Amino acid sequence: MIEIEQLEIGYRSKRKQTSVFKGLQASFQSGSLIGLIGDNGIGKSTLLKTLTGFLEPLHGSVLIQGKNLATLSFEHKATLISIVTTEKISGFNLTVYDVVALGRTPYLSVFGKLMPNDIAIIERSLERLGLASLKNIVMDELSDGQRQKVMIAKSLAQETPIILLDEPTAFLDYTSKHKLFEDLKTLCIEEQKLIIVSSHDIDLMQKYMTKALYLKENNSFEVK
Amino acid sequence: MKKTQFIGYVSLLTVVLGLLMLADLSTGSVNVFSIQGNSQLVETILYTIRLPKVITCVLAGSALALCGLLMQTLFRNPLAGPYALGVSSGASLFVAIATMLLTSIQISGLYFFGKSMITLFSMVGAFLVTLIILFISRKNKSSVTVLLVGIMLSQILGALQSLVEFMSSSNSLKTFVIWGMGSVSSTTLGDIVFIVPIYVISIVVTYLMVKSLNAILLNEHYAANLGIKISMLRIKVILITAVLVGLITAFCGPIAFVGISVPIASRLLFKTSHHTHQITFCLLLGACVMVFADLICQLLSAHMMLPINTVTTLIGSPVVLYLLFKSKFNMQ
Repeated sequence: MIEIEQLEIGYRSKRKQTSVFKGLQASFQSGSLIGLIGDNGIGKSTLLKTLTGFLEPLHGSVLIQGKNLATLSFEHKATLISIVTTEKISGFNLTVYDVVALGRTPYLSVFGKLMPNDIAIIERSLERLGLASLKNIVMDELSDGQRQKVMIAKSLAQETPIILLDEPTAFLDYTSKHKLFEDLKTLCIEEQKLIIVSSHDIDLMQKYMTKALYLKENNSFEVK
Repeated sequence: MKKTQFIGYVSLLTVVLGLLMLADLSTGSVNVFSIQGNSQLVETILYTIRLPKVITCVLAGSALALCGLLMQTLFRNPLAGPYALGVSSGASLFVAIATMLLTSIQISGLYFFGKSMITLFSMVGAFLVTLIILFISRKNKSSVTVLLVGIMLSQILGALQSLVEFMSSSNSLKTFVIWGMGSVSSTTLGDIVFIVPIYVISIVVTYLMVKSLNAILLNEHYAANLGIKISMLRIKVILITAVLVGLITAFCGPIAFVGISVPIASRLLFKTSHHTHQITFCLLLGACVMVFADLICQLLSAHMMLPINTVTTLIGSPVVLYLLFKSKFNMQ
């Protein structure tokens, strides 16, 4: 599903490039929940940004279903990988339904009109995360846990085989964390998705994940 | 929003706009209903004075509201607008410079050349300020800070404009001052023929961006992840804003508070985030507000024209204040 080959990640500006991590080698299959574990600043977010295509690899490559991520168009990438970040989405009258519906963006015409097929997928995604009763609520009125779920529902509506989550447990209490991971685990198994979750909550991750990628100091890493 | 609901609101706004336009056409220093037997005079008053003015109101109000909406969406800042963030001031300064250059080289007699030069300068001024605001809003995420920077920018540009005015002749100074208060009554039908094609193209292009505008309401990262080319969208929005604000400012002067308040009011009234709806509502509501403002000017001052900015500010600023104090918008 995803093959990471001799990957060097970091930031590139006109004047210089800053390497965050290099020599990364790993491959993950669909139907698994992968934990991306490491201390703050080690490069978890940078790796997720690179896997989404926000950042270009400084060296090496990321292959998705055998295709090099760097050569894919914006539209194509949007149908393969979706991301859930910690950024808060609110304002502008956005309701839960609106946000989940935006997951359909890659499949719509320029006018953004939803077809019956899109509506069915949106309804199913809302249903899947238990948000059906909240669909007309504006985002501003939700709790952090609910917001997180809405963004995951958006990713489901986007119908990508790969979902990345950056620190999804950051704002959640103990029970919600476990509930979230149970949901993610079920999604992996039932929908055969590859879900990669970054966190530094090792104990929690160990309970649910199929495999983990540990990022450590001095560009060393471990997959187990 | 359901389709029937949308059609209902659009019909309602269209009817209101139609009535306001009729009311505005029939109001003025001369009561056209009392003139009998002189149809020539009535025709002159309606076609050469009032009709161009009403059409200008519709064009200016809708265009500025549309620019406000585009800026608010692109910057994800409900407090953005062409006047509040200094875009209109940028256009004004460049109009002042163009006017001074044209009078000093004595070619202002060539009507269309003069108008096109002034419009072009105005658009360039609007474009430069929009670029600065984009740069600042990408560095600084707080809506309120961006607004403050915009206000400072307007002040600086205003001071520079005073400097230009100070150096210009007393004749052009008078034109400047009146133009600076905002006026919809100096456009002719010829000007409108010049404005309409640019206006229509900008609106068509905006409707073609609906999907991208919807997606960017999440934020730039999410929009990119949904397959939107953010840099393309940014360029298009900035160009449309600069072209429309430049165009309207060149002909009507800087019009206050329509651009910022109409999209806010439209969101509060119609509770939708979808841009097909928002664009349509803003166009209609913007036109209504501007025609209404002109109507008020006519009613309050029978023989002298009250500057339209006085009225648009009085209508628009309470909406912005309401948002600042009451709403649940995330102002971070």
